[in-house]
Amino acid sequence: MSLLHIDHLSIEYDTPGTEPVKAVHDVNVDLEQGEFVGLVGESGSGKSTLGFAITALSRPPARVSEGKVIFDGVDISTLNQEELRKQRRGGFAMVLQSGMNALNPVRTIRNHFMDIFKAHEHVQKDRREARAKELIEKVGLPANTLNRYPGELSGGMRQRVSIALALSLDPKLMVFDEPTTALDVLVQHEVMNTIRELQKSEGFTAILISHDLGIVLESTQRVLVMHNGRIVEDASSREILEHPKDDYTKMLLSHYGDPRAEHVSVPGLRTRENANEAYKENAHAEDNRTALTVSHITKIYPAHKRGDGEVRAVDDVSFTLDPGQSLALVGASGSGKSTIAKMITAVENPTSGVITLGSKHIEKMHRGRDLRALRSDIQMVFQDPYAALNPLHNVEYILSRPILNYTKLKGSAARNRMLELLEFVGLTPVEQFAAKLPHQLSGGQRQRVVIARALASDPKVLIADEPVSMLDMTLRAGILALLDDLRVRLNVSMLYITHDLLSARLITDNIMVLNQGHVVERGETSKVLQHPHDDYTISLLDAIPKLQVGEQA
Amino acid sequence: MTQAQNAHVTGTASGNPANGPASDKDKALEVATPPSNKGEHSQPRAKHDSADDNVLIRGLRVAGRSFATVWSVPKARFGIILFSLIILIAIFAPVLSPYNPKQTGFETNAQPSLSHLLGTTASGQDVFSQLIWGGRISVMVAMIAGILSTALAVVIGLSWGYIKSFGGEFVGFIVNLFLVIPQLPLMIVIASYLQNGGMKVIILVIVFTGWAWGSRVLRSQTQSLRSRDFVTAAAFSGDSAARIIFHEIFPNMLSLIINNFFGAATSAALAEAGLEFLGLGDSTTISWGTMIYWAQNNGVILTGQWALLLAPGLMIALLAVSMTFINFGVDRLSNPRLREGSSR
Repeated sequence: MSLLHIDHLSIEYDTPGTEPVKAVHDVNVDLEQGEFVGLVGESGSGKSTLGFAITALSRPPARVSEGKVIFDGVDISTLNQEELRKQRRGGFAMVLQSGMNALNPVRTIRNHFMDIFKAHEHVQKDRREARAKELIEKVGLPANTLNRYPGELSGGMRQRVSIALALSLDPKLMVFDEPTTALDVLVQHEVMNTIRELQKSEGFTAILISHDLGIVLESTQRVLVMHNGRIVEDASSREILEHPKDDYTKMLLSHYGDPRAEHVSVPGLRTRENANEAYKENAHAEDNRTALTVSHITKIYPAHKRGDGEVRAVDDVSFTLDPGQSLALVGASGSGKSTIAKMITAVENPTSGVITLGSKHIEKMHRGRDLRALRSDIQMVFQDPYAALNPLHNVEYILSRPILNYTKLKGSAARNRMLELLEFVGLTPVEQFAAKLPHQLSGGQRQRVVIARALASDPKVLIADEPVSMLDMTLRAGILALLDDLRVRLNVSMLYITHDLLSARLITDNIMVLNQGHVVERGETSKVLQHPHDDYTISLLDAIPKLQVGEQA
Repeated sequence: MTQAQNAHVTGTASGNPANGPASDKDKALEVATPPSNKGEHSQPRAKHDSADDNVLIRGLRVAGRSFATVWSVPKARFGIILFSLIILIAIFAPVLSPYNPKQTGFETNAQPSLSHLLGTTASGQDVFSQLIWGGRISVMVAMIAGILSTALAVVIGLSWGYIKSFGGEFVGFIVNLFLVIPQLPLMIVIASYLQNGGMKVIILVIVFTGWAWGSRVLRSQTQSLRSRDFVTAAAFSGDSAARIIFHEIFPNMLSLIINNFFGAATSAALAEAGLEFLGLGDSTTISWGTMIYWAQNNGVILTGQWALLLAPGLMIALLAVSMTFINFGVDRLSNPRLREGSSR
């Protein structure tokens, strides 16, 4: 008898007044006691919907239309609220992506544990304190964390607390829904290690839901690949890695690469060597564009509270970005990379140092005409394509604003330019896309609109701030190829800000690694990543999930 | 990598926590987004002519869907019906009222009877006719004062929220000043200075004393919207501050502004009645406020003519109630979480 038996399960989203949308189609899965299974799929594949259904957390408009979930011999759809609540002890638990935000900010971590113990009364009163301590140490936090409030803990620590809370009821089944996606790269690596160790020592059955096949392969013994609501492949991790059967799995796998390898390639993207040849062919003989020079900039923020020290976000950073060149700025969050972007775009002014674009000094710009001229030269591609487009304006309006503001084109000439931009970013047929509203576009298409808007003023420098981190793996290559292509064709220089070393390796020539505002390593991207010297660079590289099966399998 | 692959990600983005912040934002912004018309949008459209048309159709569609959302809330449905009824009565007053409201010469201080449903006043006017006509002034003042004070709140609140400079501090000082001054005494002082100016003065006084709270609320929302990427992107596109405020931020807080309008109109209706009851309005016009003023002056409680006080008082209360109830529906418009039902 398996612990979890999912039998022909289908789930629909049934919003009144619209056609029901089938999110999960006819899923059949059996899970044995103690198994660690990964559930992989892109956004919209139905993996979280399935995860919620397994833990009986489905809420309207989601509705189980067919099939059932049998956990430990009981059909969970027959349980009422009170039975569900009782079974959460020794039953199933879930850790959410936003679990770190689910803690009550005005109660200490100890109170969170005590609430659970009180509700289920499964721990003797005099044992509770010891048990809380034991649990918090299990997830790798010091015992005095119990005295602290959620606001005093970092995101990674809070996610650990939420894992410990889920563990406090001795669940047989734990569902982790993207437990590390909202965390920083380095922290993500550590939290995943903790989850792996816990699973081994506690022996609970675990399902790890993730969009990242690399993370899943590293941790789990068996992988379910989900695509358009169906499980397209169900095999052991080794099998998936070495002999993938489904085309979709193969496609997912092809988008991984090791940035440390000598040659890295991803389908849809030319290798660096080819890219640079193309660039040389295309290079303009008389280059009247000018380089962006940053010299010795420092940004100091005043202390948050009295008693705290001031914050040195960026400390004595210098670099030059020649026309048509691409430079990667990498580092974990808080390393100062976004602050540098803000100073280059004159959103913030540096505390000291000089930034020039040709003869223009950027470091002292505030408002007015100078800033406007600067903005037409330096444009930005935003991280989140869902937030960067006003939901109420159509693509035509969004693209025509910079054209009307920065170029002298008007009327039909401006409109033709708008259509040309759409064609350039590959949104054809252009007339159709021009009339669309952002919510009618997919994430990848939205990001193309964002890029088209950045190109409208014919800029000299493009700052791309994590342009693909919100997109699905398979869409990334397309956007990266587009960025690389336009750098070559339009002779734009690009500052590529990221924590993702693989994409940096794929589209940049040079790299700078930032740690707490300092440049710790710089040089040619391929050389730095193949032979890193600084410990920080090495730890960043180590944190990347490699396509290999962990020791568990 | 082309569109074929891009197409994967459309679909069930809502309800998928893996999308994290993105899908949340989508929800929050969904408020004024037109309905997904997956079938229609793919028709290529003619070069120029349909641009305005499109905006109009889109606007109408938004309005239609917003109304449907408000209508779907039972409380708001009650409010809309009640409100429409009051408006209809005011519009058709000449048809509905049995007598001319200013006509004297009936028996004075009469008790309710079949010929005078609510009795007559001390100067022999028909109270029921007055009640029907009186709605015109009360509703009109509520609407005009509501619109004007909302407009003032929008202009001040949005620019105050968007522009970070010394000017902002100054505006902040003025707004705080208006917030802490007790409204009623201020109204009384101003109204008694500008005596006998009629309705215009009443409206101006209400607007002048009532805009501050709305601008405070709208400013907060503006501050939260101004840090959104699409606002930054508009600045990078070279748009001016005014254009960003009115083309990027304003449409995204429309439901909050409508909410604010009904709130302002409610308090305007109450303030108008209050000022007239105190005798600070034009006591020769007929409105619900002046009806109570005259009723009080003539000591109707002593003569036992309760209807003279109760009827206009009840109408003012119903007008305020109807608009407050409509706001329950508008709330749902501005907070999509309320739309998904009570489960979350």
